Amino acid sequence: MPRNSQQKPETITDSPRRRIKILHSVVLVALGIILVRLFIIQIFEHNDWVAKANEQHTLLETITAKRGEIYMIDHGEPVAVVLNQTTYQLVIDPAVTKKEDVEKVINDYAKDYVAADLNEVYNTENLRYSIVAKNIPRDVAQKIADSETPAIWLKKTNQRVYPEGQLASGLLGFVNNDGVGQYGAEGSFNKQLAGEDGLVKATADVNKVALSIGNDNVKIPAKDGENIVLSVDRSLEQGVEELAMNAINSTAATNASVLVMDPNTGEVITMANLPNYDPANYDKVTDAAAFVNYTTEVPYEPASICKSFTFSAAINEGKMTADTTYFNEHYTTVDGWKIENAEQRGILYGTINMKTALYWSLNTGSIQALRLLGDNPNQITQQGRERLYDYYYNKFRLGQATGIELIEAEGFIPDPNEGWGRDSTYANMTFGQNLGITMIQTASAFSAVVNGGTWHTPTIVKGVLKNGEIVKDSASENSAISDQILSEETSAAMRDMLIYNRGYKVTGGIDRPGYDIGGKSGTAQVVVNGAYDDTFAQLVGSYIGFVGPSGELPKYVIMVKMWGEGASIGSGDAMDLFDKLSNYLIDYQKIKPRI
Amino acid sequence: MKRKHKADLVILFATLGLMALGLIVIYAIGPMRANVLNSTYGANYDSNYFFWGQLRSVGLALLAFFAAFKWIPYKYIKKFAKPIMIIALVLSGLLWLLSLVGASLVKCELGECRWFELGGFSFQPAEFLKLALVIYLADFLARKKEEGKIGDPREFWLPLLVVCGISLFLVVIAQGDLGTGVALIAIILGMLLVSGVPAKQYLIMLTIIIVGAVGAVAFSGHRMERVDAWLTTLTGGESSDSTYHVDNAMLAIGVGGLFGVGIGNSVQATGYLPESINDSVFAVMGETFGFVGLFLVIAVFAVLLMRMLKVAEHTSGDEERLLIIGIFSWTLAQVVVNIMAMTSLVPVTGITLPLLSYGGTSMIFIAFALGLVLQLSCYTSREVNTKNENISSRRGQRGSHYASRRRSS
Repeated sequence: MPRNSQQKPETITDSPRRRIKILHSVVLVALGIILVRLFIIQIFEHNDWVAKANEQHTLLETITAKRGEIYMIDHGEPVAVVLNQTTYQLVIDPAVTKKEDVEKVINDYAKDYVAADLNEVYNTENLRYSIVAKNIPRDVAQKIADSETPAIWLKKTNQRVYPEGQLASGLLGFVNNDGVGQYGAEGSFNKQLAGEDGLVKATADVNKVALSIGNDNVKIPAKDGENIVLSVDRSLEQGVEELAMNAINSTAATNASVLVMDPNTGEVITMANLPNYDPANYDKVTDAAAFVNYTTEVPYEPASICKSFTFSAAINEGKMTADTTYFNEHYTTVDGWKIENAEQRGILYGTINMKTALYWSLNTGSIQALRLLGDNPNQITQQGRERLYDYYYNKFRLGQATGIELIEAEGFIPDPNEGWGRDSTYANMTFGQNLGITMIQTASAFSAVVNGGTWHTPTIVKGVLKNGEIVKDSASENSAISDQILSEETSAAMRDMLIYNRGYKVTGGIDRPGYDIGGKSGTAQVVVNGAYDDTFAQLVGSYIGFVGPSGELPKYVIMVKMWGEGASIGSGDAMDLFDKLSNYLIDYQKIKPRI
Repeated sequence: MKRKHKADLVILFATLGLMALGLIVIYAIGPMRANVLNSTYGANYDSNYFFWGQLRSVGLALLAFFAAFKWIPYKYIKKFAKPIMIIALVLSGLLWLLSLVGASLVKCELGECRWFELGGFSFQPAEFLKLALVIYLADFLARKKEEGKIGDPREFWLPLLVVCGISLFLVVIAQGDLGTGVALIAIILGMLLVSGVPAKQYLIMLTIIIVGAVGAVAFSGHRMERVDAWLTTLTGGESSDSTYHVDNAMLAIGVGGLFGVGIGNSVQATGYLPESINDSVFAVMGETFGFVGLFLVIAVFAVLLMRMLKVAEHTSGDEERLLIIGIFSWTLAQVVVNIMAMTSLVPVTGITLPLLSYGGTSMIFIAFALGLVLQLSCYTSREVNTKNENISSRRGQRGSHYASRRRSS
């Protein structure tokens, strides 16, 4: 074997064998370096690379659930009042996007959708993201995309659309930029409307297409939100809002809330909070008070309206009738406090019956009813307080959430046996002060007073719309209460008195013949610095009443509340609105008179 | 010529084993590659397109391998060393000229025109040039050695410089193929080393090549970028577009861990890793088979390379030895530079991994070259195939080397 080198003598360093040896070393050193390198990458750094790989390979995407739409009822059919629409936002990066490019795009296509002042945007330091136009419809967005302007982006957004404009905005609420429902139905039913976003978590290829490789791939489909059908009658709501807005414009009031409900079922068919705001531009509203649904969210003192509850309690307990009499001195004293009647005319001085007391809304009358309820015509007793509390809180469910599907406040009813000045507190309670109750509580209780004595859980939801059919929500249906809290006789007696209250409306030609229309007004003082403001500089006017054909159970209960900052709104303004509404309702619902 | 004996079975089986492994890997990741090309570039590849392509290449490569091994004696080939070299240079030159006029016969990818294409078959003349250079240099160097002209400026260095210079120009400058350029330089360096060029001259040449290479890189923005990217990755810096390739190669290898994610589970091959079936196939194998798998692959290459050196050592003729060293250098350069690029030890040059990467021409020519080595292994002065010689008993191997050196001196 070494013969070769022996044949041709060479120096050791030049011999092929010696040099091949060098190549041996080259192979071993090179491959050795590679193996060490691989060992470091694959064994030592393995976890780091896996973490990096997960970051690069994992596709985590939310499948956005479609938000449910909101419907009202019109002529028995559901009609959408809140819809979804896909729109686009024009986004720029002022550090990259050329100003003249954006200007051109906006001038050419997006003039109507400008959302930011370009000069301002470009003068803001370090701004890297700006929405310069929004609510751009699909076709316009397509044109912008086709213009192939560099460094502009179109961001798809899901937007709520309100085909009825501002209609019932206080009831409907809005959806904020994060897609979360705020206020009203949007807020109350947010979970139901939102549905559940789906999720895709998968190992994906470079084009973000999910692969079947990997063990922790997850795909949860989105559950679209439900389409909610409100029991509100769209056209009636429109008509009512128009009348209420007229009332605001023609009085000192700045606000009005109106509830119309079916007293026999508890179904709300109108819920108006005026003035409305534009839910499509909710961000332009400066005072969040505009978003509040005053019918359910704000407890207040409906004042003398509550006399009908006190009277109902005393009559239902057999402690008095409409003809029960007492001596009216224009005032009465409780706990050393002199409580006066608002109405002081001379002919009322002396022995009068309860029907008259209710007609003139005499505080002495309702306090007398409380005394009678406590089995002592001269004095408020513990039993009287407890009985009134039982009726107010347990039976009429005042001061508790009614169970209507919307966000609602509870309010409060003072405890009959706690606190200082209980008798005067309860005396005030008989005419609707010293308590806090919402309009929906008041209207539900009033419905029980006039419908034959049954308290129904108020409801504003017909059901959810599935494949064009309204499907009732069994859960809310099961939790609905129908509780006979008054005898039919009590209810009938109360109806009589309430109709009697409006006798002059019939003779005055306001209430048409052939209808039973009854009502009760309430003018509440406003609490200023913890005490009732006796200057009456600011008053809240309320009126509640019912409408139906003569001799039949009422078809509708209407409640009106009007107020204004610093405005003295007597119940007269509220009653005027009620008068218009009751007539409108008769016409709208084609309630036939019975003569 | 020595009496013919049995061929070196280790080289035979290492070659066949690597081809089979390449086929398996392409079978696993070919569909992903097709999918990436289809969805990203709107191509319309069948999911098994690359497997069939590789199968065809392996078939042709086997044909070339056995042709070189059994049917075409080297003694005939060496007679045509000069014409073969001339044909190779003409082909590369023609490709360059045709690419300058934009002929349809030339196929270009990413701005580099390296292929002839005719009737669905493409041919990369640079691969042929590598083989031709090995054959030519073996003939040239052996002749000069016999004439005693090794190291002579006029008779030796001048013609060498001309031939190598033209070859490198056509490959690196005209075709922009730095990978093949590196392989050519490795071939030249390896063969010159064994040809017996005086150590001093050899070192001077080495210095000139290194300085020239650094200079070339520095003056070419495109290549400087790669070096930049490489330095960034090597030092663990922020990744950018230019470090993307290496980052993802390392990611694939790192994810593989000890045993790999298994065949068909490579995620990096689904489009994250560029050139996943060609230049980056080693990284995909790292992801798929892990450190254990790569260790075995490297071991097989190591055995193959060591056996080639062994055969060279025991070959009696200078020309034959130089031929084997040329093929050895070619293989070594491609293996080492490819893997080192994938592990960020050297900048990415775009070089295939012999027998494993997708690509017909390169596999056919390297297979032909290995077939020649196998043919020559039948004529060694002693049968190389001793039992205790394999990578796992290097100690024994080394021992025998010392013994032989002592005897020779």
